[in-house]
Amino acid sequence: MSLQGFQSMLFRLIAEPEFRDGIRAQKPFPPRVELSTREMRRLRAIADDRGLDINRTLHKGFRLGKLRALLPMTCQLLGSRRLSRELSRFWLERPPSSFSFLPEALDFCEFLKRRRLRMRYLHDVLAFERALLRLEAAGADGHPEAVAFEHDPAPVLAALAAGGRPRHVPRQRVDAVATRGQDGHIQWRMAPH
Amino acid sequence: MHALPKLGVGLAYQAPLNPLFDIASPPIDYVEVVPDIFWTDRGPAVEPRYVEDAKGLGTVSSLARRWPLVAHGIGLSIGSADGFETDHLGQVERWWQRHRFPWHSDHLAFHLAEHQGVRANAGITLPLARDRESIDLLVPRIREVMRRVPAPFLLENNVYYFDIPDAEMDEATFLDTLCRESGCGLLLDLHNLHTNACNHGFDPFEVLRHLDMRHVGEIHVAGGMELDGFYLDAHSDVIPEAVWHLLEWTLPRCRNIGGVTFEIFGSWVESVGLAAIQADLERLQALWSRCQGEATAQPAQREVGT
Repeated sequence: MSLQGFQSMLFRLIAEPEFRDGIRAQKPFPPRVELSTREMRRLRAIADDRGLDINRTLHKGFRLGKLRALLPMTCQLLGSRRLSRELSRFWLERPPSSFSFLPEALDFCEFLKRRRLRMRYLHDVLAFERALLRLEAAGADGHPEAVAFEHDPAPVLAALAAGGRPRHVPRQRVDAVATRGQDGHIQWRMAPH
Repeated sequence: MHALPKLGVGLAYQAPLNPLFDIASPPIDYVEVVPDIFWTDRGPAVEPRYVEDAKGLGTVSSLARRWPLVAHGIGLSIGSADGFETDHLGQVERWWQRHRFPWHSDHLAFHLAEHQGVRANAGITLPLARDRESIDLLVPRIREVMRRVPAPFLLENNVYYFDIPDAEMDEATFLDTLCRESGCGLLLDLHNLHTNACNHGFDPFEVLRHLDMRHVGEIHVAGGMELDGFYLDAHSDVIPEAVWHLLEWTLPRCRNIGGVTFEIFGSWVESVGLAAIQADLERLQALWSRCQGEATAQPAQREVGT
């Protein structure tokens, strides 16, 4: 049981800079965590090790890379500064739990929805990528995903796919349904409202 | 019981390397794939947990028609103290039934641990203490892997940017003990060893001189980069001369080895250039041929990972 506690604390040292600062400042370990004297000594030495900064950088880079790969347009629309701010909030409440990170990307979508950010096109882009991820997560058993866009999605998505930002796309309700074919390809059917 | 077939020089698959795979006779003898990138893990509460990527499987089948495939996993987290990913192992078993790779491997590390009440993923391989406790945790798990996937199983020596102090064993003793007691082989990543030696200031040849080379089933080579005063195992470049020196010393001593694999991340392929990658592969093949010629007089002393 003690090794389990050690690995859990090691994870916290990497994922939570404030926790690491506390250990470096000789604060006690959480009382519920079972640790041997040697494990406590090891954790305090690791907290002081500059190599831990590299692990922290790689850990954050890995999570960010996964989200960028799964939600490229949402990340592009948010921009680096806002994305970083929202991710910092999100990561405080959501530890990473799967190597594919698809569940984490879906949770980030829900988090952004809850945040109700005042950002034009975000509703549409988020809904589009969330639908794709939900179909991906469901696999062959997935049901069609309905999305009600607030703007014509074609110019919005095209601008983001080209590495830019959409501009002056008028508001227009467009209902769309995405389905996943047996070959894994996603098909969209759209109908202006 | 399985001995490793002498495959030669392998290239770790990355999509941006496709132009190299597509030429008529690329200088490779096998392809190493990371199975985990060809499926989606939907989490332990969802059935089925793993959804295969149809397009990715097409790519794997296409590669398998031209070369032997070797599987190099990243998801087992065999050193996690809070549990063993038996679902993941089941998925590796399904892949073995489909592709019959001559051997497979994963990392001697952990990336899953309890965090905020859930099983969290660090996304990086974290080091294990070189203690008897770690050996006792790993041996039954390795035996379960070997029981369920009837192909030789290798574990890769880890890269670590911080070391766990007060180790009971040095690295060579730890690796030898693990291989001897569990029956697994060693995937000797020379770039990991080089990276650790750079960052922690030791002589990598000192580790190699004490390592029982009979356990080595495969060697990994790669290039890296510097960041904030550290040298990173970034798979971002061609093989540095220091790693060539390690390889030239090590390879002739590995009588049971099946292959040497070059690793580079897809995002670095364009800047490094396919010509430079191809040149390294040709140099690897020349070294492999020379070493195999020298080795024919001496038969293997035991089987690896069996």
